[in-house]
Amino acid sequence: MTATNGANGAHGESGATEGHTNQQDTAFSTDASLQAHAKRPGGGPRRSIWAIVAVIVIAVALIVGFWHPWARKADQTQSSGAADTVAIGLKLAPTNLDIRNTAGSALDQVLIGNVYEGLVARSSENKVVPALAKSWDVSADGLKYTFHLNTGLTFSNGDPLTAEDVVWSINELESKQYHDADALKNSKSVSAPNSDTVVIELTKPYANLLWALTGRAGLVFDKDAKYVAKTQAVGSGPYVVEQFTPNSSITLKANPEYWGAQPKTPTVVVKYFADDNAAVNALKSNEVQVLAPITASLAKPFEDDPAHYTVEAGDGTDKYVLGMNNAAGKPTGDKRVREAIRYAIDHDQLIAARGGADKALGGPIPSLDPGYEDLTGLYPHDVEKAKALLTEAGYTKEHPLKLTLTYANTYGTDIGDQLRSQLKAVNIDLKVNVVEFSTWLQDVYTDKDYDLSLVDHNESHDFTQWSNADYYYNYNNPKVAELTDEALGSTDDAKRDELLAQAARIVSQDAAADWLFNYRVTTAMDKGVSGFPVNMNQTLMPLAELSYTPAVTK
Amino acid sequence: MPDSPTPTPRVRADARGVHGRRRMRIVLSTMWSHGTGRFALIVLGLWMLISVVSLFWTPQSLWKTDGYHVWAAPSRAHWLGTDGTGADLFSWLMAGSRTNLLIVLLTVAFAAAFGLLLVAMMVSRHSALAHGSVVAIDALISIPTVLIALMLAVPMGASVAVIVLACGFGYGLNLARVARPQALLAAHSMYVESALANGASAPRVFFTHIVPNIMPVLIVQCSLSAGTAVLAEAGLTYLGVGVPSGVPSWGHSLSTSVRFINIYPLTVLWPGLLVTIVVVALNLFGDALRDASDPLINPRLRGA
Repeated sequence: MTATNGANGAHGESGATEGHTNQQDTAFSTDASLQAHAKRPGGGPRRSIWAIVAVIVIAVALIVGFWHPWARKADQTQSSGAADTVAIGLKLAPTNLDIRNTAGSALDQVLIGNVYEGLVARSSENKVVPALAKSWDVSADGLKYTFHLNTGLTFSNGDPLTAEDVVWSINELESKQYHDADALKNSKSVSAPNSDTVVIELTKPYANLLWALTGRAGLVFDKDAKYVAKTQAVGSGPYVVEQFTPNSSITLKANPEYWGAQPKTPTVVVKYFADDNAAVNALKSNEVQVLAPITASLAKPFEDDPAHYTVEAGDGTDKYVLGMNNAAGKPTGDKRVREAIRYAIDHDQLIAARGGADKALGGPIPSLDPGYEDLTGLYPHDVEKAKALLTEAGYTKEHPLKLTLTYANTYGTDIGDQLRSQLKAVNIDLKVNVVEFSTWLQDVYTDKDYDLSLVDHNESHDFTQWSNADYYYNYNNPKVAELTDEALGSTDDAKRDELLAQAARIVSQDAAADWLFNYRVTTAMDKGVSGFPVNMNQTLMPLAELSYTPAVTK
Repeated sequence: MPDSPTPTPRVRADARGVHGRRRMRIVLSTMWSHGTGRFALIVLGLWMLISVVSLFWTPQSLWKTDGYHVWAAPSRAHWLGTDGTGADLFSWLMAGSRTNLLIVLLTVAFAAAFGLLLVAMMVSRHSALAHGSVVAIDALISIPTVLIALMLAVPMGASVAVIVLACGFGYGLNLARVARPQALLAAHSMYVESALANGASAPRVFFTHIVPNIMPVLIVQCSLSAGTAVLAEAGLTYLGVGVPSGVPSWGHSLSTSVRFINIYPLTVLWPGLLVTIVVVALNLFGDALRDASDPLINPRLRGA
């Protein structure tokens, strides 16, 4: 008892001493300030009251000013026409602007077609259309492509863009092995017979050459320009990068030197939101006028308010692939097991749970890519059939098949939970292992040490992954490889598409993987926005046609 | 602190007073007689009961998902509605309570054991060890628990062990630092001197004289740790380094629904409310237990 009392006592005493000193200090300072006040009669307290009143008035004025809808819309209502600035909210931010050396579709999305241009470009239907080249001829044997450039082409720094720049860009790409250099296959030579003609010669026909040139491999850079590629960009597109803040925003300004028609909106600000709720709030508060992507569930409040917002889902080439390890030693090396998994998965339910915007996909080629065929009928949802196949393969309720699904945490845990629940019904005991993307890259993609994997293969024209026996699927079918090679070597697009479709059907019939769905990107926009690309806008987002006419009253 | 007053050991007061089951009954009934203590006992009792029940029964199977009825409102079939996979939220929260209980018990046990070990080092008679450990603890305490968890998650992946180790480590350091002054007072007291002079071993002195003296601090720190462990589970699971996918926990329910707080606020509310109530109950429990089990404060324990 004494212990605590003693301790408390000691503490109390020291506290008292401190208090005493403080009191002295306070008394002294109070006196001093009183004296100071006394020297200035009429000042002091009254003035401080006025100061407080002033602060309150200013604070109220500021709050009213910021919150008042007129203030927020003031500059927009003054001009009755289109706004000078449109802000776009995106998700994945580029870490730098060096499009020749940095991977990631965030750069393709914001720079290709806006800041940099290629000989040819892609339409919103994923077809090849003219860009810097106004037309092109292909020789009958498919070995020689002749491009005719538009006249009066310039870069944003004023330099003229000539065929020499094109040749230099492609040669640099191949000699320095810039990103996507391998998209140009079978190339033999690039030459410029005159200043507005470019000739590309191939060793063998390559059916995807034009499409490959629409991407990074075909971009034309100024061979005479000196700039810091990580933070600056000199291209020939309708916009220039005015300001770049890594991981946060990019400001695009109309390029006064642009060789074509000026873009509709002079300034476009691209803002990046890693957090979905922050993005939704930004659209609600009109901080941005466009938001892409937004998950279908989060878009619901905007869909419910059609007077102010439009919500659209666009087609894309994102394939959510449930990869199965086809290696012989694995349980999934057994075709019956793979087939059972495909029968067991209720794709429509997965799509419904995600908000219903996505599309069922039965095979490796999505609808925007050459060779598409609706293969969803091959493995319809059929629990009994799945069970029967697994029983045949030796797995029953008493001895369930144990599998591990490994995927990156960017896709959320919901989809794994649903797959486990659906596979449980057919006696598969699924362990879901949600990991960092880097871990997935190492374990699944590089080491191929997995049973099931889930990843969004968003690339277009990527069917060759199925003809590559070294790819992480461990899928090896010589017939598929043969058909793919033949398709890529064909000089006729119709022939190419037919061969690819045949190969894709074989891959799907082999149940080499399951295609959960074709993800469709959902875009939410202010009602006054027009000309924003809805299809594939996560990889290709030309902004020249974008315009925003704010509602006069809101 | 050579001039500090010598405390007499609390355990002696107990020795004169009451022991064993009778003591426990008195402590519990004292807690029950106070509003906060009763609240804490009821909440924690229900928590344990539900954890046990969930091992055998939940209203719906945890693994029954229904993609056509996601984010459903509360109904007769789904008492608190469904989550983003269409699974029953009430069942997941029920099953989550056992995971959280396990995490809390393991974390507190680890934190207490680790903390006592550190206290023993800091009051050690080897001055190099004592001083070294004080400096080491001051340095280590500056590392945030989340950072430790993130580092542990690299080799271990998301798992319950990550939460237990990271939180136990962090809370053990805190506990040791808070308990040190009291422990030092006891360690430098006359009765410890005399016990040592009489040939008592260091561990015996530590457990019979020092630990009983820091017991009130220990109880409060452990209850704080228990509450913080529940919060840490939610936070670490949200970051993806806590409870792995497929293991029910309150943090799992929170993190899967928090993205949709704007649209389905109710789904976030239930797990959030649950975590809040339990954390409050754990903190009140520690306070009430200290008050009820301290013979200096609770006169019923001093009765013959």
